[in-house]
Amino acid sequence: MVVPTVLVVDDSPTVRKIIQMTLQREHIRVVTAGDGLSALTSVADEAPALILLDIQLPRMDGYHICQIIRKNLQFRQIPIIMLSGKDGLFDKMRGKLSGSTEYLTKPFDSAELIQTVKKHLANWQERVPTQYENTRPRLRYRG
Amino acid sequence: MEQQDRIMDGDLQTLGLQSILKMLALSGKTGKLYVYSGPETLSVGLRKGQIVGLHEEGVPQPDLLAMLCLINRLDPARVQTIRELAQGDMQVTLATLVERGWMTVSEMQRRLEFAVTQCISHALRWVNGRFEFHRQLVPMDSKMLPLDIDSVLLEALRQADEWEEIAKEGVMHLTRTTVARWQPEVSRDVRSMELNAESIEVLCLSNGELPLQAISLALMMPEARVAHIMTRLVALNLIEVVDTAFEDVLRQDLADRIMRSQNALAWRKRASDPVQHLHGLLIILAECINELLVHHGKHARVFLGRGQISSIEIVRYLERRFAPPLQPLSSQYPILETANFSHGQLNCNEILALDKVVKGQQLEEFYWEAVQGLSAFLRMLFAELLHDEVGSSSTGRQLSAAWKLFLFEFEQEVQQYQTYRAQRAARAARDRNATQPSPTGVAQNRSTVPEVDGRSFWSSEKRRSI
Repeated sequence: MVVPTVLVVDDSPTVRKIIQMTLQREHIRVVTAGDGLSALTSVADEAPALILLDIQLPRMDGYHICQIIRKNLQFRQIPIIMLSGKDGLFDKMRGKLSGSTEYLTKPFDSAELIQTVKKHLANWQERVPTQYENTRPRLRYRG
Repeated sequence: MEQQDRIMDGDLQTLGLQSILKMLALSGKTGKLYVYSGPETLSVGLRKGQIVGLHEEGVPQPDLLAMLCLINRLDPARVQTIRELAQGDMQVTLATLVERGWMTVSEMQRRLEFAVTQCISHALRWVNGRFEFHRQLVPMDSKMLPLDIDSVLLEALRQADEWEEIAKEGVMHLTRTTVARWQPEVSRDVRSMELNAESIEVLCLSNGELPLQAISLALMMPEARVAHIMTRLVALNLIEVVDTAFEDVLRQDLADRIMRSQNALAWRKRASDPVQHLHGLLIILAECINELLVHHGKHARVFLGRGQISSIEIVRYLERRFAPPLQPLSSQYPILETANFSHGQLNCNEILALDKVVKGQQLEEFYWEAVQGLSAFLRMLFAELLHDEVGSSSTGRQLSAAWKLFLFEFEQEVQQYQTYRAQRAARAARDRNATQPSPTGVAQNRSTVPEVDGRSFWSSEKRRSI
């Protein structure tokens, strides 16, 4: 059985572990990254069906990563859910402008996370083959 | 599957599996029989009316190698070798074991026969469902010698009867997918309980991961007998049946609480003053302790299966269980004497309001002592709680891993304060030396002394680099 892969990008190992634990129960494969550069490498290597992206990250923030992914032809259609403790309108707007699909405010509970992730994974199999077929994913950071 | 190859189909209510198999055996048919009931599907490969293969759809193949290792039939090194070769295929596993001389051919044959009998015995109890027979399908490739349908049916029916018998004895709650695990605390010596060899083997395999069906296959003991033994072991308080639905709820609740505490920790990191920082850590500790107490009030083992429990009973239980361990910590960290249990929660208001009584260095010392004491209590509380609720099951291990990561993040914050204390102590020592005249008349180099005033307590960049 082919299972979707979700990339979790957060600098907190606790958050990464809890999200991994929660999503694996739903038969979703989870890969994690603790900073922006590792996140970009994981996007290229794993071609995830969905990205959960924290805003405050070391070296490169979530908005910047989101913009890089959105500018890439192969990965631009991956849904990106921004994770942050901030729930202000300004941050949501900034997330939207940088190309995020949805905004999840921390601390979210497991049920809310599962619901949001499943919503965006509904037709992941239709998206993935056309996007990645016969192509070697390439992502370059010109930071 | 081509429609024209399907020479027979119907529903199980009209024609039972026993009759279908008998009919196919008598007519010496070759092909594949599919039996469907709800989400379950069984496919039986036949050649000239004899069974040559069987497959259960959607049922994960038990890890026979791990089970043989658990009952000391194989050592881990051999298990690893076979695992790499077989890639999870049970028939290849058995064939490789025979090839290496670690299992006899007759045992392999008995194991394959047993697996077939178990599956057919299970399917014989299906009342509703459909069947199809396809004649042109090539029977499944199998290492198994062809089995006579009559003898398989006889044994399968006998085993099905055993299930009926234990059901009459009231063993209704165990099914072939039931998972049992060892009780976290067994105070009695297992040898004194006069358990027979079969019971000990079932006990060994009840590790919280293997379903009853897999244990039955590993021991080549009918599922009904395994269920019977499990019931006895449950009565002896040696094992418990894992309630996966309950563990899911518990896991979710505890994970959410850890997540909330982590989020609070992330926000408290922004404090620029050491006293504020310690105060923030104290708030997180107090909140986290009380979150865990609320959680345990809902999921404690003593309340399981008792329906609605009064809040007074929960409060009494929590205070009885967790107030005594606070006492020894109070002697080590006297500031904890001001914290007390109230309505099933740890009341730390007096500690948190210390800034109204003392200030400066003294306040910082009190806070630091409280952070250490409450941190020790929090660790003890989580360990007790997890042990009581899920023991050493896979859920327990996962939650424990998440908890360790949270503690690691918390410890990083504490370590920053410790670094600050060490730097301050070093500066104080240098200042003391500087006040004494230098015997050589050389001025002290003060540029290497770290800045520890409020503004440069720890910047965001410093935290990242740590």
